[in-house]
Amino acid sequence: MRFVAAAIVLGAVPFLGLPAFYESFLYLVFHWVVLATSWNILSGYSGYFSFGHAAFFGIGVYTTAVLAGKLDWPFLWTLPFAAAVPALVGVALGAIIFRVRALRGELFALLTLAVTFVVSTLVLNTPVDGGPGVMLSAVSIPKLAPTVSGTFYLLSLVLALATVAIAYAVYHSRFGTGLFAIHDDEAVAEVMGVPTYRFKLAAFALSCALAGVAGGIYGVFVSYVTVGETFSGFVALYVILMAALGGTRHWLGPALGAAALTTLLYVFTTSDYAVAGRAAMGLIFILVILFLPQGLLGRFAHRKALPRRNAPIPSAAPSTKNMESILVVRDLSKAFKGVQALSHVELEVRRGEILGLVGPNGSGKSTLINLVSGHYPVDGGSIRFEGRELVGEAPHRIARAGIARTYQIPRPFPHLTVLENVALPPMFGQVVMDRAAAEAEAWRWLEFTGLAGKALLQPQHLNLHQRKFLELARALASRPKLLFLDEVLSGLTPSEMNEAIRLIRAIRDQGATIVFVEHVMRAVMELTDRVVVLTYGKNIAAGAPGDVMRDPQVITAYLGAAHA
Amino acid sequence: MRFIWRAAALAAMTALLWSAHAQQPVRIGSTLALTGPLGSAGNIQKVAIEVYIDDLNSRGGLLGRKVEWVLKDDQSRPDLARTLYEQLATVDKVDLLMGPYGTASILSAMGVAQRYGKILIHNSFGTPRLAKYDMQFSASGGAGDPENVWPNLVFDAVATAPKPPKTVAIVTTKFPSAHSIALGAREVAKKRGLTEVLFLEYEFGNRDFGAIAARVKDAKPDFVFAGALGLDGVLLLDAMKKIDYQPPMHFYTFPAPGPMLKLPEAKNALALTTFEEHPPHTGNPQATQFIQGFRERAAKASLPSTSVDLLSTIAYASWQVLEAAVSGARSLDDKALAQWLRQSQVDTVMGRLSWQGTPEGPPNFVMGKDIYKVKQLQDGKWLVVWPKEFAAPGAKLIGP
Amino acid sequence: MPSYALLGQSALSGVFIGALYGLLGLGLTLSWGMLRQINLAHFALVFLGAYLTYQLGAAGMDPLVTLALIAPAFFLFGAALHLLLARFKVNALNTLLVTFGFMVMLESLIQWIWSADFRRLESHYGDVKWKVGELFVPLPELLTLALACGLALAVWAALRFTDLGKAMRATAEDAPIAAAFGVNEKLLSLLLSGLCAAFAAVAGMCLALSHTLAPSQIYAWIGVVFAVVMIGGLGNPLGPLVAGVVIGVSEGLTMAVTAPVWAPLVSFSLLIAALLLRPEKF
Repeated sequence: MRFVAAAIVLGAVPFLGLPAFYESFLYLVFHWVVLATSWNILSGYSGYFSFGHAAFFGIGVYTTAVLAGKLDWPFLWTLPFAAAVPALVGVALGAIIFRVRALRGELFALLTLAVTFVVSTLVLNTPVDGGPGVMLSAVSIPKLAPTVSGTFYLLSLVLALATVAIAYAVYHSRFGTGLFAIHDDEAVAEVMGVPTYRFKLAAFALSCALAGVAGGIYGVFVSYVTVGETFSGFVALYVILMAALGGTRHWLGPALGAAALTTLLYVFTTSDYAVAGRAAMGLIFILVILFLPQGLLGRFAHRKALPRRNAPIPSAAPSTKNMESILVVRDLSKAFKGVQALSHVELEVRRGEILGLVGPNGSGKSTLINLVSGHYPVDGGSIRFEGRELVGEAPHRIARAGIARTYQIPRPFPHLTVLENVALPPMFGQVVMDRAAAEAEAWRWLEFTGLAGKALLQPQHLNLHQRKFLELARALASRPKLLFLDEVLSGLTPSEMNEAIRLIRAIRDQGATIVFVEHVMRAVMELTDRVVVLTYGKNIAAGAPGDVMRDPQVITAYLGAAHA
Repeated sequence: MRFIWRAAALAAMTALLWSAHAQQPVRIGSTLALTGPLGSAGNIQKVAIEVYIDDLNSRGGLLGRKVEWVLKDDQSRPDLARTLYEQLATVDKVDLLMGPYGTASILSAMGVAQRYGKILIHNSFGTPRLAKYDMQFSASGGAGDPENVWPNLVFDAVATAPKPPKTVAIVTTKFPSAHSIALGAREVAKKRGLTEVLFLEYEFGNRDFGAIAARVKDAKPDFVFAGALGLDGVLLLDAMKKIDYQPPMHFYTFPAPGPMLKLPEAKNALALTTFEEHPPHTGNPQATQFIQGFRERAAKASLPSTSVDLLSTIAYASWQVLEAAVSGARSLDDKALAQWLRQSQVDTVMGRLSWQGTPEGPPNFVMGKDIYKVKQLQDGKWLVVWPKEFAAPGAKLIGP
Repeated sequence: MPSYALLGQSALSGVFIGALYGLLGLGLTLSWGMLRQINLAHFALVFLGAYLTYQLGAAGMDPLVTLALIAPAFFLFGAALHLLLARFKVNALNTLLVTFGFMVMLESLIQWIWSADFRRLESHYGDVKWKVGELFVPLPELLTLALACGLALAVWAALRFTDLGKAMRATAEDAPIAAAFGVNEKLLSLLLSGLCAAFAAVAGMCLALSHTLAPSQIYAWIGVVFAVVMIGGLGNPLGPLVAGVVIGVSEGLTMAVTAPVWAPLVSFSLLIAALLLRPEKF
């Protein structure tokens, strides 16, 4: 509501008869708001740091320049294309880049920087520009306001509001939650059901499109565009500075940073103090960052949790223990750089049971989980879940099918609160929930694991036992049909362990099937219905816990041949 | 009696008001690139204009009012230039506008001037055909078709060499203004029957001229026409020197004048100019005042080169044009000034300027001729060598 | 088909400009890779070094000798900058911002002292060159190449073979663990940061020998040097040099055989292709 009121007030500015300068100045502010915010939707949210925003901005500039300046299209008609062309280029690039897993961090930054050089060279040496620049002063500007500068003001205002609204909406949506998860730990996000590839593409496209429209308007604003000005390093550098100044983890941060930096740069344009002013700007910059390291809006960077609303206690699905197989693994093999981690492994999990998966260190237990959850590609064999082949499926689709896992060493999303961590899987699980429903669900599992008191903290404030329970809560929150627990008990004190065992029983009682990987034999004997033993990547035994533990092969595997 | 008193009081008040008005300065606004990539040029122009305004005010200013220059720094950015001109026109409400430095920023300022019906006198507009506004006036001394006039001037000059060139290598940046002149040079060379042995375009901001220099050397041209801006010329000369190559004759469109002076290998380099510190340009009071004043102020501003050059001269001349227009039209009204300029000629320190345009050219640009001269670096000094009547005493184009 | 002399000279020119990229990138890659500080001020520092060389050179001092004054002073600046960044525990992204502030301040300082106009160092080094076969080898460039190679190799060897270097690498890998093994992390970081700034002084001296200076030129180097640093692998002292030479030579050869305007397209398309096809090599 306040947003709408602000929009109306700002929209009225050109009709107040203020000197045109104010409109022009605010145009510049809005222009940078759009660029910084659009950069942040990709780079701030998902952590894919782009040094190449100038490329997409520039493609937008030249799309409008060619359509309006050379082909005489009406200005406003060119803007959708100024959005579409950079977005298409972004998607095409992203479709290649995001398939290459290693291209994170500096490599992504480097690639986008290189793209800027390539695009600017192409524009300079093809008829798009060709060298002389493109003159746009003859482009007729629609009369949206009493003055020309008023028109630019309104266009940029609409775009800036739209961009900030989009940033706000993304921030609070499933999409945004997914992007923040990608930022923190992409592999885990994917395993929790986030379609990371699609999300990154969408964020890239959105970011490019918004920058492109800003470029289209900018081209006509300056009325003469050249390659040197358009693709200069300033755009790429300034958007990063602005976003960081305002705070990259807040939807409004980049906008605020853009307004602050644009104003700072403008304040020091009086000729007598041009040089001293520049130095002062540098000093202000340093002081702000030293004393507000999270950016101007850093301290507000956490989404307010919605009012707590517990989901109804789930209907305790009757424990349908039967002989039907929920998961059938056949002939599964996996090698890492020549080392055979799993060879021809067979495994059957029956609906409703707790299956213990044991074996010495390095026997391939965790590898098996990583293969079933799709974390690693499979070399050979088949994994069928409820009759459906999982080999070759993306991890997020496997998660959606109803399989969840925990990590042996907890891997929470470090920048999300405990509540957000647990609310993530339900948003991307078998039944897609919106954020409110997912948070209600999360509260329930936090209650269940005794973490409700820590819900609004970040995971770094939890101890090991609490982190292990966070892993558990996160896996449970998606209400999986099949749950892999990877050494959830290791490192816990005996009393903590008892609590955990009680929890796991409770989980099974609610209808989940559990594969329980553990070294703590007491727990295995107490909890499991059946046990499968792996050693050197092969099955050696299966059966009731008591029988298996007396198997000489198993004893050898655990204690070595000499003792056999 | 009472009537007379009243009339006297009224007259006194009017006089008082009038004189108060007269004491209010004329405010003239502009931006220059004081920081950023064009900063070197902007700061030279600032000094030249300050010299002029000092002189103008010591002579009583404009229409008996002192002149106050409202100068802002556009940071070499056209978008900022536009906003600053909006500020000058609508918030600072200056009486008159003057142009900034550089084609792109001038275009930005021109758009603002057009919207508010202000006259805009500028001095460094590289691509005249882009000017569409009928109240813009160039004081650069250039024609409306520099891509035609300048190559002709240069090829005329080199034709006076003892052994006129038969082959030419054209090397140019892809920066719009210099690029269009280099393209013009291609046409002119062809028409004159010169053989083009090499044509190379490089990106603006290129740093490695090694390969380009080697290709020029391989092409063995009689004459190198370099569409070089700023430091390009210096970099190209450096690179040629490193491979032990000295072109028989060489021309650079707009080189940074200072660094070139100090390069031994820049010996006999040619460039364009409008005014140099030697007769027949000097010897009149205006020129003396300009050269003296610039020397003092440039030293104070710690500029490395304190002699006047093309950049400072055109800046100085543009304000001479403004003064002439205001005195001639006896007005500060933009339309009156524009009207007066269109019908007049102004004698500036660098020569006589006029603006009688032709229908086919951009508004207020003379086509086909201008006041530019060709200078050559001889014995560590820039000397005009062509046309003959402007050449330094005894100076001739040195060539093979 | 261009002559071999032309190709050779162009490639050599690429090697020389690549060496300068490498020298500019050396301090940057070390502070980025080992201290997690993305130091934009490095570029301004290089230029300050170049201007100081110019000033002292104009007063008659030999450019190489000026390093004896400038490098230690810069070492202190680098260490002081590190103290500030460490005191406020500035994270990697924020170091970019803080050092941007320093870059702007240094740029202003340079413009205030030396004006925005161009400055050029006159030195007898510029006149010396040798002819090797058909190729010309100028002294300033050779000096740059020698310094770039020498420093990069020295740093590489020091990191690899000396105890101090090993301790630095350990600290870069995992500071708390290294500290637990008795490594004085704070002192090492201070030393490294100071060294990076001293390398900026060396790069500045080379820049002054071969280039004309203007304050705004500071920004012109950022893009390509960042690329070189990232291609070379953060924290790898040999990386920027190798990457710089590869980019320089590929651009030089492109300019020798086709229109020079296409040079950036060729080198950066090669880079993109390499990134996409062999990302694990980076």
